[in-house]
Amino acid sequence: MDQAVNHAAPNHPAIVLRGVRKQFGRTEIIRGVDLMIPKGERHALIGPNGAGKTTLFNLVSGRFSVTSGSIALNGQSTAGLAPHHINRMGLSRSFQITSIFPRMTVFENIRCGLLWARGYGYSSWRLLTSGRAIDRETDAVLEKLNLAARRHVLAGLLTYAEQRALEIGITIAGGAEIILLDEPTAGMSRAETDAMVTLIRSISAGKTLLMVEHDMGVVFELADRITVLVYGEVVASDTPGHIRANPAVQNAYLGTGDN
Amino acid sequence: MKVVVHLLRRHWLWPAAIVAALLLPFAFFDWAHGHHSGFVLVLLSQIGLMTIFALSYNMLMGQSGLLSFGHASLFGLGSYCAAHAMNAVKAGTFWLPTELIPLVGGLGGLGFGILLGYLATKQRATAFAMITMGMGELIAACALMFKGFFGGEDGITTDRVLGTSILGVSYSAPWQVYCLVVAWTAIATLLMRLQTQTPLGRMANATRDNFERAQFVGYDPRMVRFRQFAASGFFAGIAGGLYALVYQIVTFDTMSADTSAAALLAAYIGGSGSFYGPILGTILVVLLQSGVSLLSNAWMLYVGALFVIMVMFAPGGLAGLISRHEPIRRIGRLRALLIPYLRLLFPGFITVAGTVILVELTSFATIGSAEGQHLQIGARSIDPANGMPWLTGAVVLVVGGVWLRREARNFGVRWNMLIEDAKTKWTRP
Repeated sequence: MDQAVNHAAPNHPAIVLRGVRKQFGRTEIIRGVDLMIPKGERHALIGPNGAGKTTLFNLVSGRFSVTSGSIALNGQSTAGLAPHHINRMGLSRSFQITSIFPRMTVFENIRCGLLWARGYGYSSWRLLTSGRAIDRETDAVLEKLNLAARRHVLAGLLTYAEQRALEIGITIAGGAEIILLDEPTAGMSRAETDAMVTLIRSISAGKTLLMVEHDMGVVFELADRITVLVYGEVVASDTPGHIRANPAVQNAYLGTGDN
Repeated sequence: MKVVVHLLRRHWLWPAAIVAALLLPFAFFDWAHGHHSGFVLVLLSQIGLMTIFALSYNMLMGQSGLLSFGHASLFGLGSYCAAHAMNAVKAGTFWLPTELIPLVGGLGGLGFGILLGYLATKQRATAFAMITMGMGELIAACALMFKGFFGGEDGITTDRVLGTSILGVSYSAPWQVYCLVVAWTAIATLLMRLQTQTPLGRMANATRDNFERAQFVGYDPRMVRFRQFAASGFFAGIAGGLYALVYQIVTFDTMSADTSAAALLAAYIGGSGSFYGPILGTILVVLLQSGVSLLSNAWMLYVGALFVIMVMFAPGGLAGLISRHEPIRRIGRLRALLIPYLRLLFPGFITVAGTVILVELTSFATIGSAEGQHLQIGARSIDPANGMPWLTGAVVLVVGGVWLRREARNFGVRWNMLIEDAKTKWTRP
C-alpha cells in the first residue's frame, strides 16, 4: 500500500506539518510547528528536555491527535486516523521507552512487525509453519540487527542494548518508507552507540528518517538536516553546518553545555 | 509414510493421549455384569468437554490477556443451540448427523461470540472484565425471561438417540457418547493448538504483551481482541454442544458465574501461560468437583484453598511447575530431586490430613449436623461436639506443618543447588 501511495504522489514530501498545535488541558506543548521533510532525507529533531520532541512524534505517528493544524504523509492527511492506519500508510516508529513484546521470542517480535506488511492480516486459517518466505525475511532482519544467535530467547530477557536493537528491528521490519526513531541511543555505552549509528545508517538508506536524539555526535553524523525545537516552537531547521553556526541555536540549546 | 513416522515421532503425545482416554474407562469396567461404570464415563466426558471449554477460555486469558468473567454465556448458549437442534432433528424438521451436533453448538457460540464480543472487546483489561461479568449476569437473567428458548427454570430436555448417526451408532450408551466426546476434544484441541500458530493467534499474544506496539505494526488491537473472542466462542460452543449430548438437559446453570469460574480455575491452576496447562487444570478441577464433592460437603473449600495456594506459590500453574524442572532435566539431574520430593511427601500428607480433619469436623459441626449426617471413619462414629477429635486434628496439623516447613527448606537448598548447577553448565559460549 505504501508503494502505491508513492507512485500516486511522487512529488509530495514524506512529512508535512502545518501550524501544528497540541494542548494538554491548558498547557500548550506544541505551539505552531511547520515542518517539511522531503523523501529520502535523514532528519534529526533536537531540543532541550521538555521542548515537545516526543509529543511531536506522537502527533505524527497518530498516538495523539492534533489540537489544530494538519499533518500529511506523502500528501495524504492523517487527521482522525488511528495509529494502525497511519502505520499502513507506510510510517513506522520506535519508542523512547523500549516497547517490545516481552513474552514472545526475539524471532516472533520481528515477525510480528512483518505480518501486516506481508498481507497476513487477521487470518485465523493461514498457518505460520516454518520455512515460509516471511521466516526467511525475519531471519534476514535478525542478521542485520546482530540478534540471529538470540532468536529463540524471550525478548524480555535480552540485555538493554539488545532490546533497543530489537525495538529498531520491529520498527523497520515491515519495510516502512518513513521511519521515526525516538532516542535510539539513549542509555547506551559509546561502543553500543557506534553500533547503533551503523545500524541506523544501513536501515534508513533510501528511506525517510525522522529521529529524536540527545547525543550530538550521533545527530551530526547521521542527519542531512536538523530541526531545533524549543518550548514547542521551531527555532531553526537547516543543515548540520548551519545549525552549528546558528547563534539562536547555540543560545537556546548547544550553549547550555550539553555537549 | 515417512511423513507419518516423522509426525508421530514429534507428536507422539497426541495419539498416546487419545488411546489412554479410550482405555481409561476399562479400568473401571464391571466385568461381573459386563458393562461400563456410568459414573466414570460421565466423569470422563465432563473432563473432555471441560477441557475444550477451559482451552477456549485460555484463548482469551492466557493468549490474549483478557480476563473474562462471562465465558459460560457462550458455553451455555452453544449448549442451548445444540439442544434445540437435537429436538428439531428428532422431530424431523431437518436432518443432521448426531456426530455434528457439537458443531451446531460451536456455530451458536461463534454467533453469540460475535454479538457479545462486539460490545466487550471495545475495551480491554479491567473494563473488559467488568463488561463480560455484566453480560454474563444479563444473559443468565434472560434465561428466566425468554422461556421459549431457555425453557425457564426447568431448562431444555432433549434426547440424543436421534437415529441419524452416519457411523450407525445409536448413542444410547454412555460409552458411545464418550467416544464422540474424545473425538471432538481431540479435534477442538488440535484446532486451538494450530490457531496459536496463525497470524491472529500470534498477534493475540502480541496485543497481550503490548497492545500499543501492536498498533504501530499495523494491527488494530480491538480487531485482534474481537476476532479472538469470537473464535474462543466457537470452541466454547462446541463444548456446550457436547454438554447437551452428554446430559440431555440444558439449564441456565450452564451459563452461570459458577461455570465461568470453573473455566477460570482450570486455566489458572493448570497454567495459563502454557497451551496445555488448562488441560491439567481441568482434570484436577473436575475431579475435585465431581469426586471430592461426593465425599465432602466442604469440597468448595478445598478448591478455593488449592486456588489460593497456586496463586501464591505457583503463579505459572501446574504447567509452570513442570517447566521449572526443564533446566535440571537438561543437565540430566532430575533423579537428584527424587529423594527430596519423597521427603516432602510424608510431612505434606500429614499436613493435608490435619487440615482435612479440622475442615471436616467444622463442616460436620455446621452443615452436617443441620442435615443430620454423622462423621464416620470406618465403623467408628466421631462426634464433632467432643474435644478429642479437634485436638487430634490440631496436633496433626501443627506437627505436619512444622515438619513440612523444615523439609521444604531442605528442598529449597537442594533445588537452588541444582538450578545453579544447570546455569553454569548452560551459559552461552
